[in-house]
Amino acid sequence: MSRTRSWPRMVALVIGAIFFLFPFYYMIIGSLQAKRDTSITGIIPTHGVTLHNYAQINASLDLLRSLVNSGIFTGGVILATVIFGVLAGYALARLHFRGRGTLFALMLLVQVVPFQLLIIPLYVMIVRNYGLGDSYMGMILPFAINSVAVFIFRQFFLALPEDLFAAARIDGASELRILWSIALPLVRPALLTVVLITFIGPWNELLWPFLVTKDVSLQPLAVSLANYISNVAGRATNPYGAILAGSVVLAAPVVALFVAFQKHFTSSELGSGVKG
Amino acid sequence: MKKKVYAAAVITLAMATTAACSSSGGTTASGGSALTAHGPIKVWLSNNPEEVTWGTSMVKAWNAAHPKELVTAQQIPAGKTSEEVIGAAITAGNAPCLVYNTSPSAVPGFQKQGGLVALDSFPDAKAYIQARNGTAADQYKSPDGKFYQLPWKSNPVMIFYNKDMMKKAGIDPSAPPLSTYADFLATSKKIVASGAAKAAIWPAPTSEFFQSWFDFYPLYAAESGGKQLIENNKATFDSAAGKSVANFWRTIYADKLAPQEVYTGDSFADQKAAMAVVGPWAIPVYKGKVNWGVAPVPTSTGMPASAIHTFSDAKNVAIYSACKNQGTAWDLLKFSTSQAQDGALLTTTGQMPLRQDVPTVYASYLSTHPSYKMFADQVARTVEVPNVNNSIAIWQAFRDSYSSSVIFGKTPVDAALTSTAAKVTTLAGQP
Amino acid sequence: MPPPKRRSRRLTTLFGRQPLGMALAAPYVVFLAAVFAYPLGLAVYMSFHRYFFAAPGAVVARPFVGLQNYKTALSDPAVQRSFLNVVEFLIINVPLTVVLSLVLASSLNGAIRGRTFLRVAYYVPYVTASVAVVAVWLFLFSNGGLVNQLLGPLAPDPSWLVNSTLAMPLIAVFVTWKQLGFFILLYLAALQNVSKELYEAASVDGAGKFRSFMNVTVPGVRPATTLVVILATITGANLFTEPYLLTNGGGPDGASASPVLVMYQKGIEQGSPDIAAAIGVILVIGVLVVSLINRRLLERD
Repeated sequence: MSRTRSWPRMVALVIGAIFFLFPFYYMIIGSLQAKRDTSITGIIPTHGVTLHNYAQINASLDLLRSLVNSGIFTGGVILATVIFGVLAGYALARLHFRGRGTLFALMLLVQVVPFQLLIIPLYVMIVRNYGLGDSYMGMILPFAINSVAVFIFRQFFLALPEDLFAAARIDGASELRILWSIALPLVRPALLTVVLITFIGPWNELLWPFLVTKDVSLQPLAVSLANYISNVAGRATNPYGAILAGSVVLAAPVVALFVAFQKHFTSSELGSGVKG
Repeated sequence: MKKKVYAAAVITLAMATTAACSSSGGTTASGGSALTAHGPIKVWLSNNPEEVTWGTSMVKAWNAAHPKELVTAQQIPAGKTSEEVIGAAITAGNAPCLVYNTSPSAVPGFQKQGGLVALDSFPDAKAYIQARNGTAADQYKSPDGKFYQLPWKSNPVMIFYNKDMMKKAGIDPSAPPLSTYADFLATSKKIVASGAAKAAIWPAPTSEFFQSWFDFYPLYAAESGGKQLIENNKATFDSAAGKSVANFWRTIYADKLAPQEVYTGDSFADQKAAMAVVGPWAIPVYKGKVNWGVAPVPTSTGMPASAIHTFSDAKNVAIYSACKNQGTAWDLLKFSTSQAQDGALLTTTGQMPLRQDVPTVYASYLSTHPSYKMFADQVARTVEVPNVNNSIAIWQAFRDSYSSSVIFGKTPVDAALTSTAAKVTTLAGQP
Repeated sequence: MPPPKRRSRRLTTLFGRQPLGMALAAPYVVFLAAVFAYPLGLAVYMSFHRYFFAAPGAVVARPFVGLQNYKTALSDPAVQRSFLNVVEFLIINVPLTVVLSLVLASSLNGAIRGRTFLRVAYYVPYVTASVAVVAVWLFLFSNGGLVNQLLGPLAPDPSWLVNSTLAMPLIAVFVTWKQLGFFILLYLAALQNVSKELYEAASVDGAGKFRSFMNVTVPGVRPATTLVVILATITGANLFTEPYLLTNGGGPDGASASPVLVMYQKGIEQGSPDIAAAIGVILVIGVLVVSLINRRLLERD
């Protein structure tokens, strides 16, 4: 990659980044202001910053408890998706079994159907029939295995060179062994993508946990924040600031996660596994 | 690929049949025994902080006197609308015994779901309701003649105005001319022209089904002398009164006296609007923020305040069929709507209990709190949403057409009223 | 070397060459059956009956009504408008998403300074809950908001979100901005599979940056592009949160209502899940058709 020609590209990227980040910047500034400032000069915090909004929102909804609930919900989904999704993705890509095509078609169909169509039947099934209302399991269940993740795993396994597997089969290795020793160790780049993508859904999900949990101590942060916005915010001294403070708290862990893991997206990783 | 898609479709259809078998039918609940059973129960209160305060102390008083029938109260799980929450709870079978936040517009829907208990099943219910509410209770009867809700409290909507802004615009803050449409429009123009406020008044221009309750409906109640939107299953608003109100609001939007964009927050409390159409629950919110005064809603030619009707914005209480100890629920309901508890409600929240004797029974409180007196007098002349089938769909249809014709001026107002009236009448007639 | 195991023919035809696949996929299959197929089946069933949800134990009549719910849904002007809106949305959103995300992903793939910061910048909108971000956008695009102040006399008269021609395009831009991070991630992962040798070969042949982009990158990520187009179409067609939060109930005159929003209103707010189910089924079929067409077009060779 030639360095000299990358100047205009850098400039374009940085300008783009500024546009992308501006609403966030505004959000963070807003959460640190004592009074709502709607003018252009409000972009620069001239009146000083304060943590009052954070204190206020922590007083109205237990931030720590909500964060823990969000963590449990999201963690449960990621765990189930990674474990069962890898297996299913591998099976769909590399193994020939009866019903494979049908399963693939069904998996695609899942993407297409909007959640709002299924939400009430699901709710009746999970709360009435299974009795899982007000429980973490009830929250996790409809999201347990993310189909986009299964798709990504499948595409990933498909892209692996056939020779790897053919060689192992000729050597007499059993399918399980191939899965364990060859396929799984290679899955790391896809794994990271999947974790990052699967994280967002449950972390920011409003509708489902809200329906399923009436007990406030079980609600994840996204739901508590939405409740706060609809009902209590009007009484706070700077409701706008408190809402933004809650939103910053909601967004921070995911951004942190991404920053921590994004450096693994480099091109050298996969190439080495295939050569020679 | 075709074969696989076909197979997937077959699986879905198979699931459909299974689903159908499991969803229909079911055993009938033994209503008889639950009706007289006594024991611990759960209730939901609204999220309004003052109501929660009242509710908690009411429950405490009950629990002290009834240790074998303890009541657990919690705030209603919040959402965009309480109807969604309660409807979902009814479907799941985990609704509480009482909900102190049942909207009259949702009662037909809940009733259809089989989620409510007819209060008439309790032998003393009819008499109790009649004694407490008088003839005003009739607005709350269901089409089958029974009461599925107890009319509890009302927030008669009136016009709040910002006295400081009036003064700034050169209008007398103790008696601004707001009683006829002509006066109201002239006052509004003065306010906006003088720069005293960004908007003369700022009703929410959004399309949720309930928004019309705070712009069109109160004025229509006044102008029509107390008519509901629908009477005898027919729309009433395709009339001189309805047209008059709709055209008034059209003028307000056309002359830019009210913005077409929503304000996130309370525009009156944040001093962006000089007036607001709201009820007494907002008084604690405005305290210390706005120097406010109150006037009745305007009518086209002006009426004496004692003749003006308005929207009640009532919230009622209902007993839900999932309740196991309905005997206790009914007893608690009577306890919480007794004269003492209604008085506590009034003094704690400022909202008006729906009793026929409010101005007399609580006269001493009202004389020491004159700001509430106007609302107390208004309680006798409130109009409720009609108790008809498909009431939410009706309000949504009305709002959509109102938004298009009155707020955004896309379609002519009178014609829109006529076509919506036809649509609404059809909806009311459907099961 | 020992000969490969001989498997009986019958077992192979019955279960396929590697029946282990069934075991591996089994948890996923059970999950799909319970959480997806059953509710979907019920939804389809609902669309053909007069249906509403009742309290457990209540006995209600649920007659079969054939295609009546579909007729009611399709003849409702609000529903028609919402489908038009979603088409308008997709026309703006999908091409914009594909182009921007591929260009950004390939720019961010190389070894450049500040790569972490830049990648985070583009990913952050995707990560944040709509609830939070919407408030900021509402504020920026309101009548006296920043955008209008900067535009001065060029500001549109009914301001952006209450303007029935501008509301949907603005939502399309908002959603593109918000979701770009996800698609950039997909392309970044796909770009790892385009081997470096191809780029080296191209530059040896004298191809400039643009040429090598068009001739190496674009074909190299073809499967990912198909995925991006299909996913963007599906997410766009199922648009709900943004109209719900940005325009509270469908915007000026229903100009920014989406089919799923109308479905939600009818199903959950108004208690007519039968009509809502009909709308949903129509939507699903429409999206399937469009996706199949997309796939045909994109996988030409």
